[in-house]
Amino acid sequence: MTNQASPVEEQEKLLEEALNVVKVQAFQMKRCLDKSKLMDALKHASTMLGELRTSLLSPKSYYELYMAITDELRHLELYLLEEFQKGRKVADLYELVQYAGNIVPRLYLLITVGLVYIKTNSNLRRDLLKDLVEMCRGVQHPLRGLFLRNYLLQCTRNVLPDTIEAQNENEGTVRDAIDFVLMNFAEMNKLWVRMQHQGHSRDKERRERERSELRILVGTNLVRLSQLESVTEDEYRRLVLPGILEQVVSCRDAIAQEYLMECIIQVLYYAVQQLAAGVGHGGRVPPARAARHPRAGRQLSRRDRSGVPHGVHHTVLYNRRVCDVQVFPDEFHLANLQPFLKSCAELQPGVNIKNIIIALIDRLASYSQRNEGNVNLSVVLEDGKEQEVQLFEVFSDQVAAITQSRTDMPPEDMLSLQLALLKLAQRCHPDKLNYVDRVLAHTDKICVDIHQARYCPNIFKKVGKQTLEHNTPVFKELMKILKLPADHYKNILTLIKLQNYAPLIRHLNYPGRIMIAVHLVNDVLESDTMISTPEDVESVLAMLDVLVKDQSDQPTSEPDVEDFTEEQGLLARLIHHLRSESADQQYLILSAARKALQGGGAARIQHTFPPILFHAYRLAFMYKDLKEQDEMWEKKCQKIFQFCHQTISMLVKAELAELPLRLYLQGALAISEIGFANHETIAYEYLSQAFSLYEDEISDSKAQLAAITLIIATFEQINCFGAENAEPMRTQCALAASKLLKKPDQSRAVALCAHLFWKGPKDGQQWPLNEGGRALECLKKAARVAQQCMDGGVQAQLLAELLGRYALLRERGNHHATTNLIDAIIQKIREELANLDQSEEVEQITKHFHNTLQHLKNRMECPDPDGLGYEGLVLS
Amino acid sequence: MSFFGFGQTADIEIVFDDADKRKVAEVKTDDGKKEKLLLYYDGETVSGRVNVTLRKPGSKLEHQGIKVELIGQIELFYDRGNHHEFISLVKELARPGDLLQHTSYPFEFANVEKPYEVYTGANVRLRYFLRATIVRRITDIVKEVDIAVHTLCSYPDVLNSIKMEVGIEDCLHIEFEYNKSKYHLKDVIVGKIYFLLVRIKIKHMEISIIKRETTGSGPNTFTENETVAKYEIMDGAPVRGESIPIRVFLAGYDLTPTMRDINNKFSVRYYLNLVLMDTEDRRYFKQQEVTLWRKSDKSRLPLHNAHIPQTLSHPSNTMLRQPSASSDDNSTRAVSPMNPENAMQRSISPAMPDGDKQNGPSQMEQEKPEEITQKLSNTHIENNQENVRAQEPPQVNEKPPIAEKPVIAEKPQISEKPVLNRPDSETSQSQ
Amino acid sequence: MLVLVLGDMHIPHRCSSLPPKFKKLLLPGRIQHILCTGNLCTKESYDYLKTLASDVHVVRGDFDENSTYPEQKVITVGQFRIGLIHGHQVVPWGDEESLALVQRQLDVDILISGHTHRFEAYEHENKFYINPGSATGAYSPLYRNPTPSFVLMDIQSSTVVTYVYKLLGDEVKVERIEYKKA
Repeated sequence: MTNQASPVEEQEKLLEEALNVVKVQAFQMKRCLDKSKLMDALKHASTMLGELRTSLLSPKSYYELYMAITDELRHLELYLLEEFQKGRKVADLYELVQYAGNIVPRLYLLITVGLVYIKTNSNLRRDLLKDLVEMCRGVQHPLRGLFLRNYLLQCTRNVLPDTIEAQNENEGTVRDAIDFVLMNFAEMNKLWVRMQHQGHSRDKERRERERSELRILVGTNLVRLSQLESVTEDEYRRLVLPGILEQVVSCRDAIAQEYLMECIIQVLYYAVQQLAAGVGHGGRVPPARAARHPRAGRQLSRRDRSGVPHGVHHTVLYNRRVCDVQVFPDEFHLANLQPFLKSCAELQPGVNIKNIIIALIDRLASYSQRNEGNVNLSVVLEDGKEQEVQLFEVFSDQVAAITQSRTDMPPEDMLSLQLALLKLAQRCHPDKLNYVDRVLAHTDKICVDIHQARYCPNIFKKVGKQTLEHNTPVFKELMKILKLPADHYKNILTLIKLQNYAPLIRHLNYPGRIMIAVHLVNDVLESDTMISTPEDVESVLAMLDVLVKDQSDQPTSEPDVEDFTEEQGLLARLIHHLRSESADQQYLILSAARKALQGGGAARIQHTFPPILFHAYRLAFMYKDLKEQDEMWEKKCQKIFQFCHQTISMLVKAELAELPLRLYLQGALAISEIGFANHETIAYEYLSQAFSLYEDEISDSKAQLAAITLIIATFEQINCFGAENAEPMRTQCALAASKLLKKPDQSRAVALCAHLFWKGPKDGQQWPLNEGGRALECLKKAARVAQQCMDGGVQAQLLAELLGRYALLRERGNHHATTNLIDAIIQKIREELANLDQSEEVEQITKHFHNTLQHLKNRMECPDPDGLGYEGLVLS
Repeated sequence: MSFFGFGQTADIEIVFDDADKRKVAEVKTDDGKKEKLLLYYDGETVSGRVNVTLRKPGSKLEHQGIKVELIGQIELFYDRGNHHEFISLVKELARPGDLLQHTSYPFEFANVEKPYEVYTGANVRLRYFLRATIVRRITDIVKEVDIAVHTLCSYPDVLNSIKMEVGIEDCLHIEFEYNKSKYHLKDVIVGKIYFLLVRIKIKHMEISIIKRETTGSGPNTFTENETVAKYEIMDGAPVRGESIPIRVFLAGYDLTPTMRDINNKFSVRYYLNLVLMDTEDRRYFKQQEVTLWRKSDKSRLPLHNAHIPQTLSHPSNTMLRQPSASSDDNSTRAVSPMNPENAMQRSISPAMPDGDKQNGPSQMEQEKPEEITQKLSNTHIENNQENVRAQEPPQVNEKPPIAEKPVIAEKPQISEKPVLNRPDSETSQSQ
Repeated sequence: MLVLVLGDMHIPHRCSSLPPKFKKLLLPGRIQHILCTGNLCTKESYDYLKTLASDVHVVRGDFDENSTYPEQKVITVGQFRIGLIHGHQVVPWGDEESLALVQRQLDVDILISGHTHRFEAYEHENKFYINPGSATGAYSPLYRNPTPSFVLMDIQSSTVVTYVYKLLGDEVKVERIEYKKA
């Protein structure tokens, strides 16, 4: 009999009509109760209950109707209870209600009355429970049966015998409670499963949705079982679990199997909170037992035994996000892993067994974590001996068995199982890295099988490509497997200890490998992991192979520049994490890094070599600091700069120019600062290399200006040169400056060269290489070039800049910069400015000029006692 | 009534000994009302007094004798004038003479054999009464008083159960069991139905108690069927392997002991009718006679205690059959009920094969339990609430109230013969 | 008006990232302008600055790949003209008088320069000079073990209050310097 769900409005109408009847009948019932007319009240109750015989309502509407009616029945129950407690028993009430001609109202009444009997006379408990659960067989309609039995379950929830031994055998023991619930569970499950087979196949989807809505009704049985406090582990193993599992396996319904298995093992974290809050039951309550429904949970359990209408308890059915039930305490699982897992192997092909196993593993893993790893894995066996349960071993074997027995299992599910195993190994056996490695090895094998399965059927197909396609389910699972240890350990050093980790990465295709490599590098950066031996450096960089060098399977088209730069930038940042406290070790690390990275080609080394070089420079400074302890320091510094020289040469060979030029200059500065043996020669070499690059490789005029400016500025900072080396260099600079293409560039660069011939006194000492005349010549040359500029504005601009530099030289004690010369420049500027039309640019120059004049004026007013002063200069 | 209008006349009153202590029983009169009568059993002495009260004290009443009779008789309604007396006992109370004052005459019918129970049926009535007569020359003064008689039986507690496998080939095989074949009137029927094969879409299952009253003989035999009780025992469609419990309390229904061949005039027999109704309102039924008997009240210690309910033991324990929730393997069983005894009947018409008088336990004895029975029985099967409210014929219930698109599929195809080799009835329908 | 001044991160050449303690301080939405002295080196660093404020000004450092950054720039905030230059072009590097040349040329009230990786803030001839140092404390051959630092300027019309954030050891120290426009 299908319930013929009608359209929504129709449903609403039907429900409303039914609820109206309920309202009227409930009102009459209560009025009769008030007048102590029990028989009439029962008649109205029966009529009201007759509404539940409908076949027209959808499960959702039926549920609402059920809720309304059972709420009203509560009044009847309370009335009867009160009467009974006063001693006013109605003879044979249990028989009386059975005269109701229709079975559905009859059984609801029977349950209600039965409950009252049990509550007032525990002697009847065992027999009545048996009778009720048996009589409910009469309702075979799935929906009506499910709700009827749910009513039974809700009514009896606080009266189930829960003692190991009964004082009076008629009261029953927890065994009877187990039998009762297991039977009810089996019957409900059968009804629930039957829903699947009713009606038309085109309604399958709707049916499955409705079934899913109702599953909590079935699951509640398991809740009840888990709430029995006297169930010993022994009983759980011998009665409860086999009872459930038998039903689960024999029902041969995938939806039921999946849900119920998950029910059994579901972990609800708030269970722990409940325990902590001390809510609910007294005495020993295993964490999971206190659990109820996720949201209403706490409130309900507090009221559970204080007589809240039963209805409240299942308001959850349609208001909950995820309807799932609480389950059995973890200790139970440890003892029952094997039978449970065995049952898993017997489930229907359609069952998503992986979810079940994964849920179980998750539960156990978090149990282990809750106990901060102190899981007592000892379990007492049937023969009384204690045995250490090796969680991982048990699961590993069973997962292997399941994977083998389920040949239809998609490879991604196999991988998901491995993922779960991995989780287990990591969380429950933190000290056993070999477990993790074992999972990875197994995963590797699965991947190999996947390739084979994919390519073997067609032997003519090219077998070259052995990687997993991007974003396939298998790919995603493997990605998760790879990320899990990375995120768990947050330490790449642990990953490189896992022999099977790096090989596993190779099963991913190129973008996949990039993804995981980027992930790994980010982990290192975030966790600030230091990789401090050359061996580790090699391993790490080998693991990141995809970033380090070209790949055979990388796309032939040009990679996205931005992405590529970003990836290489990450790799470059990683180099800062290749670090040792020991200088010698650091050198080996840098060598190892360069060795690993040098195969990356120009595109890569331009990103990865600069960090190596700067670390090398830094290392040289470190040796300088160590010169007291390490007499070899100078040799080592030489070696470092040799290393750096080679490294930069590689960049040059890779046809880079500007970067190596700058790196040479940086090297020269470092060498000059450190001042080890023979440093001058080496510094000169570096500088001359930079110069060669300037001359040979840089052709863009703008780049030329920038480069020569940098060379001049750097050279200005280097103090290690004697005249022999300084002379050719500064001459070369001035020459190069004068050879720049554009006049303004020439003028500016030549003017800067003045600083290479004249420096102000340092610590009261004149610079020995000062050549005041040549410095001035630079400025004069700059002025000449400036005046060659056709654009008057540019001319004025350059002269204004030169005026400042003249003044600077004079203030720095160069008497060659005479006031006459300064005055001449001033006049020249005035001349030029006068000829210029007003413009923003001219205004800017004028401001600059006046600012400089103002500076001169200031200096004339407050002359520097040590400086030359501006005597004779007249500023109008 | 005096012929002359002025003669003496008298009133007769029959007073029974221990009337205040004797139990009473409700008995239906022929006009359908109920009457409370003193209850006697077989072999019990009926004694008392006949009081004659003169209307006109002081004046004498002449009579030809005063007598009291105890009569048991069967009245057939279609033969009103012709009563069959199976008992007729007479006690002379006074010789002919004159009565001068109120007079009281004791009488006693010692250890009277009362072989039958009082009964009022559709076509027949069996009654006992006392008749006191003052015989006069013209008009006798007569007074009749009915008494109730119950016949008690005793059967051993352990009685044979009724167990039978019945069915319609390749369509429905069930095995049913009633714990006894003989039930006393306050008994409880306990049983179960075990489904061996289900290929029809069962809607519900009920047990009815049918009373069959047969009167007359030969060509003048009249049979009246009356459904005394209808009791739904299953809602919905079971699958193979399901076992449904039966428990019917008899005390609440208007039942009499089974009467077989009462004085060659009539008989009353009871049948348990197990009816399965499918979604197209076809009925499948199996009738089984049971014997009802009246048990002595004194020994009416509860055979069943309502508080310790009885059910037949679970099939999984006794029958060793694996209940299976999946409906997809109703494999055809080799056992086919060839024996006509084992054949179930099927009626295409939704009506009962009999008069289908909806009775229910509406006429009850004065005990409390029946009160509720009467009230609860108003919610009995036939009063389908939805139908009443919707004012629609009952079948509508099973059809979509609004014609949805898939009308064709929703309408079950009428297949007289259940389709063979279908794993279940659902798929056959969706064809 | 909050102006963030920072530069010379040299990521990834010389450092792997901005100190986390700085990152925690630099929250989006509070800063109006960012003045960067250059040597961001990569686009990511620029993108990062963009997440902090939409108005980001960058001048070119000697290790900036991006040649579209200008050599120098003038930004007006409140009543202040602020000059921004990396400083590697100023010879000699970090020289007070040489920077003054730039100041006069640009005609600015505040001149911001970097390159030396050494924080500085001083007044010179009534003008204000700021060097925010290196935000990452990047290596410099001329200045050993630079302290990571950056500057936050709170500019209220003619007053600028400068806060210097320095990462000393594991702690962020803040100093306050006030400058009023003459």
